Amino acid sequence: MTDKNPDKGYVAILGWSLNAIDAIDRFDRRYVVVAPPWAEEYCVQNDIPFLPWDFDRLNERSYELAHRLEEMGVDVAIPIFEETVEWAGAINAVLLKNPRLLGQAMLFRDKSLMKRRAQLGGIRVGVFEEAHDRGDVIRFLKRVNQTLLKLDGDVNDPIHFKAFDKSGTAGHRVVRTPEDVDNIPDDEFPALLESHLDGWEFAVEAWIKNRKIQFLNISEYVTLGYSVFVPATPELEQHRARITEQIEKLIETFDIDFGFIHPEYFLTSDNTLYFGEVAYRPPGFNALELIERAYGFNGYQGLVVAFDPKTTQDELDAFFPTPVEDAKGYAGCFGVYPRRRVVSRLEVPEETANHPFFEFHELSDPREQKVAKRSAFGTHWGLAYFFGDNPHELRDLLKKQEELDYYV
Amino acid sequence: MTSSSPASDGRQTDTDSRAQAARLSGTLDVAIERLERARPFAKLRYQRPVLEVVRRLLPADGGLDVIRERAIQMDAAGLFAGSDWDSPEALLPQICGNTLLSEDPSFVALEAVSLGRFLAVATGEARHKNLHQDTARHFLTQVLALNLRDIFGQSSEATRTLGDRQENKQRILAYIADHIGLTDVLGALVTEIWRLLEQRSVQVGVAKDMIAQIAVALEEKGTEPGSERLGAERLVSALFGPTVASLDDPGVEAYLERIAHLDEPSLSREAMGFARAMHDTGLISDYHVAFLHHVLDFRDRSLVPAALGLGTTGLDCWHHFRRLIEDLIHAAVTLSTPQAAYGLALLLERGVLHHAPMAPALDRQLQQKLRGHARDRIALGFGEAVAPETHLLAGLLQIIGQPLGVGQGANPTCQSARAIAMWSLIEPDYLLHIVSQASEFDTVLMQFEGTPINSADLPLGLAGFGPIDADPVSVLLVSHLDRIYAEMGRLCIGREGDPHRWINPQFHGWWVSRDCAVAVDVTTGKLSDYDSFLRRFFATYHPLYNGERPVSHPQPAGIAVTDPNRQFVGWHAIAILRVAEDQAGKMRVYFYNPNNDSGQDWGGGVVVSTSGNGERYGEGSLEFGSFLSRVYLFHDEPLRGHESAGNIPDTAIESVREQAIESWASDRLPDAMMP
Repeated sequence: MTDKNPDKGYVAILGWSLNAIDAIDRFDRRYVVVAPPWAEEYCVQNDIPFLPWDFDRLNERSYELAHRLEEMGVDVAIPIFEETVEWAGAINAVLLKNPRLLGQAMLFRDKSLMKRRAQLGGIRVGVFEEAHDRGDVIRFLKRVNQTLLKLDGDVNDPIHFKAFDKSGTAGHRVVRTPEDVDNIPDDEFPALLESHLDGWEFAVEAWIKNRKIQFLNISEYVTLGYSVFVPATPELEQHRARITEQIEKLIETFDIDFGFIHPEYFLTSDNTLYFGEVAYRPPGFNALELIERAYGFNGYQGLVVAFDPKTTQDELDAFFPTPVEDAKGYAGCFGVYPRRRVVSRLEVPEETANHPFFEFHELSDPREQKVAKRSAFGTHWGLAYFFGDNPHELRDLLKKQEELDYYV
Repeated sequence: MTSSSPASDGRQTDTDSRAQAARLSGTLDVAIERLERARPFAKLRYQRPVLEVVRRLLPADGGLDVIRERAIQMDAAGLFAGSDWDSPEALLPQICGNTLLSEDPSFVALEAVSLGRFLAVATGEARHKNLHQDTARHFLTQVLALNLRDIFGQSSEATRTLGDRQENKQRILAYIADHIGLTDVLGALVTEIWRLLEQRSVQVGVAKDMIAQIAVALEEKGTEPGSERLGAERLVSALFGPTVASLDDPGVEAYLERIAHLDEPSLSREAMGFARAMHDTGLISDYHVAFLHHVLDFRDRSLVPAALGLGTTGLDCWHHFRRLIEDLIHAAVTLSTPQAAYGLALLLERGVLHHAPMAPALDRQLQQKLRGHARDRIALGFGEAVAPETHLLAGLLQIIGQPLGVGQGANPTCQSARAIAMWSLIEPDYLLHIVSQASEFDTVLMQFEGTPINSADLPLGLAGFGPIDADPVSVLLVSHLDRIYAEMGRLCIGREGDPHRWINPQFHGWWVSRDCAVAVDVTTGKLSDYDSFLRRFFATYHPLYNGERPVSHPQPAGIAVTDPNRQFVGWHAIAILRVAEDQAGKMRVYFYNPNNDSGQDWGGGVVVSTSGNGERYGEGSLEFGSFLSRVYLFHDEPLRGHESAGNIPDTAIESVREQAIESWASDRLPDAMMP
């Protein structure tokens, strides 16, 4: 274990992520992992400080957890997964004696409330509505297309369906036809419906302390659900000033003192920035690792620095590099899905394997999985990692991967 | 040795390949760095990317340099954490060759890094806390020796189909050979072949192959003269030129022409030359086969006993059964089945032809036709250069001549192999009987406590249709025996305790003792009344405690096999042959192990010896206590009490118990014995 600095904060990690634990164990802050009891044996075996807890729906017991952590001397709780964001809010409300934090967390957890709040704050959002059943979805689909002056028989513009409380691409569907609506399972309601925006989609990772952005990364999506890379191309980075402004607006609107946010935006062809949604936790798709590959700092350790109330501005300045300028190169990853119905083995396509940007992959063996029909965006079978000095070549390379078979 | 392939259509040029290795080395460093800094509990995730990059480095020029230079670093970073490779001192050189051909590229990469680590330590460029420089060198030498054919690039049909995998393996081995040289390898190989030959296996194909490789190596590379070269040449000459007239390996045709002009004394010298080489190595040269037929058909039959190197018993059999023996040579000893001559020599020397049923049974076998499925399987296993009947007859001569040379091949059929060995040792006429049954009717009949069993009626057992990588008799019989064995097990369902108690006497013969002791409780798998078990074994088998009663018939026993780390591997069937003092006065158990190489390290100093401690050909041996520490089941006589069991000193029992508990029984302690 790295020597822990008693003068710095003591953090609680909410949720089980081996990557996060590994990174934080190597860092200089004391920590404790709060995760379901099944993780206990593993933690005992590996000397990982652990507190068993069942994160079900937020309940009155959050107060009990907060007090136990307070007694242990914990300064702040850090959510690792969407499901623990509201727990962190409730706990931090107690630890930091700031009841507002619980309400703030609820905003992050409800996609509809989040969107309205953003709208009230003067942030530009697309057309959206809440859906409680399939009828609501059909109605929204029709109305959006009527607005667009589509006639019966014209191909509908799609709408987006996002389960309220699911993270990332898990509950995200693209709906074009009434048949698509029939395919939505009951347990994904209630949900948020959004009009489709044609444009450039990207995400931002921002570490915040004292209501100030300490580091802002722009992650450029090549194709949503497939691939992303950092830093973004110069074409997207040229909007950095406007994007920074948008993030500052988010900080004001959502009253964010500290922590980490991960919003998504659209830049439409008329150069307008639309806010999609925001999460108060690390992004999926191992984006923090891409940032580490490009910039050399560990994003999870960055989380600790941003959450810990005892962090000084000097430490922050030393910890975070200068965006874009300090990047050693461009790091991207591609989520691999099998393209054939029947696959027997993993074989990295030769043109990928021979490309100088290709680094390595973490793909699982087909014997461990069977090909399911993709319903929502679904889960990929693992990521392939790329790194190089040319963002355009990297972008095209990632795009190209979509046409290649990794599983044959 | 060149490691670069010429550029051709669709292939990378050397320069490209070098550049690729240089680039990949950078990527590898990134992957290693991630692995290095990960906490022990998070290593797993970062191992795969490292192996991924290593895999891509393997075919690149200079890629193996990159791997070797970083092998120790990768080890220290935790690449082997959680796998067998983490303890290099326990790795087995026999396994490397196959791992390098694994279908899973991660295993190939893992093995390549592991070998790179051995190489770095062996050449002194790095140190490793669990690996001594000499140990590393010795290990690599053995790996090379066991895969010599790949170093010389001779490929067989089987290896050709492996394509890239085979190429990678050859590159890796050639790379190691380039760095540590081949002189040691030859020595290790010669030692290894002698060790195998000492056990006198029926199957000598692998040893013959290796000797052929040595012949090529001597021819192509040459080595400094020395004891290694001498040992190597002794092996090569036994196969390719054992006598004066065959010394220069002239080819069978030329040889026959030469000996047509030899006078009697010269022919006699040839005969003795063959006999000496055969008894020295257990191998038969093609010239030996040609010679036997030549003297039998054209010259003086009386040279046959000399060419077989017969002693008094063998000679006596020759005089009594000359016609039969001549027929057997004619029918069984061919260029496709040369080893039958050695089997025949030993068969005669055992004197079994004087056992009344044997001569007629062998006469019957001479006429025995193989039919149907049985015929197909022998043809499948041994090819069609000579008739399946010839292979079977040759196999029978070998097995009856060298009963302890039977091996199970790569099949889970130790029980059947053991049965065949025991029958050929004490009831060869019974073996001939069931062989005849299986040849003609494709079935074997037995009884279990009065219930008739017909193997043809039974579903396939563990071994499926049976092995084809074993000797001809096993190929014919094992699938039947395996089914019968399983059926006997089925008939025991519902009885309490280990079914071998009833199966062994019924399956093998009256001579298996009817009582049975088992070290573990069958339902819980925990040790049960273990001290009494040990005392009973002493009282049954140890000459000092059993009234010096020798073991008259082989007794089946069950062994808990352990690996060099003393970890339990599995239950295994062996046969106890005799218990006696070795030349140093230590009491040893001599036993038959149906696996193909008895010389195994069972960990904790329990290393099975196959020669040098009073073993006869094919026997393995251990000191009494060490042997007992791995026994979990044995048979003894129900009528005899175990009065003497009390006389056995507690210290003897304690030391055996300790050895068991430190190895296979470590997690089998009954609750009462838990510390």
